[in-house]
Amino acid sequence: MAKKIALYPGCMMSTEQYAYELSVRNTLPELGVQLIDIKGFSCCGEPLKSVNQLLTIFLSARNLALIEKEKLNVLAPCAMCNLALCETQHILKENPEMEKRINDYLSEEGLKYTGNIKIYHILDYLYDEIGIEEIKKHVKKPLENLSFATHYGCHCIRPKEIGRPDDSENPQKMEEILNAIGAKTPPYPEKLDCCGGLLQLNLDESALTKSGQKLKAVSEQGYDGLVDVCPWCHKMFDARQKKSAETVATKVELPVFYLTQLIGMTFGINNDKLGLNLNLSAVEKIKI
Amino acid sequence: MTITDLTSMGKPQTEQKQEINKRLQKLKDEVSEYCYQCAKCTSGCEAHKLLELEPHKIIALLKRGLIDEMVNSDIIWTCMSCFKCRERCPQKIAPVEVLFALKNMAVVSGKQVPGKYSTILQSVLGIGLIQDIQTVQTKDMKTLKREELKLPEISKPTDPAKFQAGIMKIAMEKI
Repeated sequence: MAKKIALYPGCMMSTEQYAYELSVRNTLPELGVQLIDIKGFSCCGEPLKSVNQLLTIFLSARNLALIEKEKLNVLAPCAMCNLALCETQHILKENPEMEKRINDYLSEEGLKYTGNIKIYHILDYLYDEIGIEEIKKHVKKPLENLSFATHYGCHCIRPKEIGRPDDSENPQKMEEILNAIGAKTPPYPEKLDCCGGLLQLNLDESALTKSGQKLKAVSEQGYDGLVDVCPWCHKMFDARQKKSAETVATKVELPVFYLTQLIGMTFGINNDKLGLNLNLSAVEKIKI
Repeated sequence: MTITDLTSMGKPQTEQKQEINKRLQKLKDEVSEYCYQCAKCTSGCEAHKLLELEPHKIIALLKRGLIDEMVNSDIIWTCMSCFKCRERCPQKIAPVEVLFALKNMAVVSGKQVPGKYSTILQSVLGIGLIQDIQTVQTKDMKTLKREELKLPEISKPTDPAKFQAGIMKIAMEKI
């Protein structure tokens, strides 16, 4: 029987990072997962935490309330959304007064938050719920003789205290998944470096410097590609790769993939269904 | 509703200001006892090398109550929210959370909301998402719309007026 889970796509994935959405929607069903769409979602509020944190909590609680109504757990593949939802759950659990207040705001739309669902990111969902062995079973064309650098994204691993998909200092789930589909994942010193993504909003030049520095380091170390699991990070490394590299006065031609795209490739899913034509980095270099 | 309702100096914001002040006061009371300025936060700070953010100094200034000075400084907007300072502090202090509170205070005090923050705030208030559906370009310069990619209809607030009513309550509530 199919495992049912609600999909919370968030803004970035559903308004521009379509390659992530396509590869999530087309890869998970191969693993026996049925993704359920829910109407009425809004932004998770995370990008607005600097403006008004109460607004972030309200928006996340609102989305969680919509999912609770369907009695489903949720998959939030964007690291930012995932953190916002998890942190809101954490805050409201510890602060019943705030929960009451948020529920008062939510009553305008006839919603009620109880905090009673499990929130997954693609990383922990694949690793903990599906499992490495199950993923291995579906691999038709392994990624042989290729080595990838992994980029988890800050929001995916920190703060540990509120519960994150992987360890904050030594995350390994993405490595294990990539190894299972045939790729090598040698470690590199810059693995935990930030993509700079959030600074796009007010200090774009610095954002590009951050992503540029990381791209430069990864390509200098001879990797065949970079793998990420967050649409904000991916935008910096893929769509904005040329600009990032220029900002640190270098040239980079590094294929950048979403983890779900690489998994889908090894499952034999066709390129269009994985949105590979939407990656602006040199993904055509990787042929399996 | 406009951005000014959430950010301006209007009366309801006085209440919000008081609440953020309480938040900062609470953080101040929590840190003053525990931070011993080891600067481990700064040594790992993503914005340190590039933009000279020094989280341990933010905590030192908070300890001394120099809140207005920080609220009025651009330095608080250099944080990338990587959460390394919160993760690595041996005393479980979270400079990143202090910075969020300071930025919230800057906004509610009627200082300009920097960069694209105002654009995405407007967008969320209007359509519920940080931006509307974008047309994307493939590497061979083909333009594609969301619906051409066989993706289902986007999920967004079905009744914007009711959605905004909830946010309005946040903006207007007396605390």
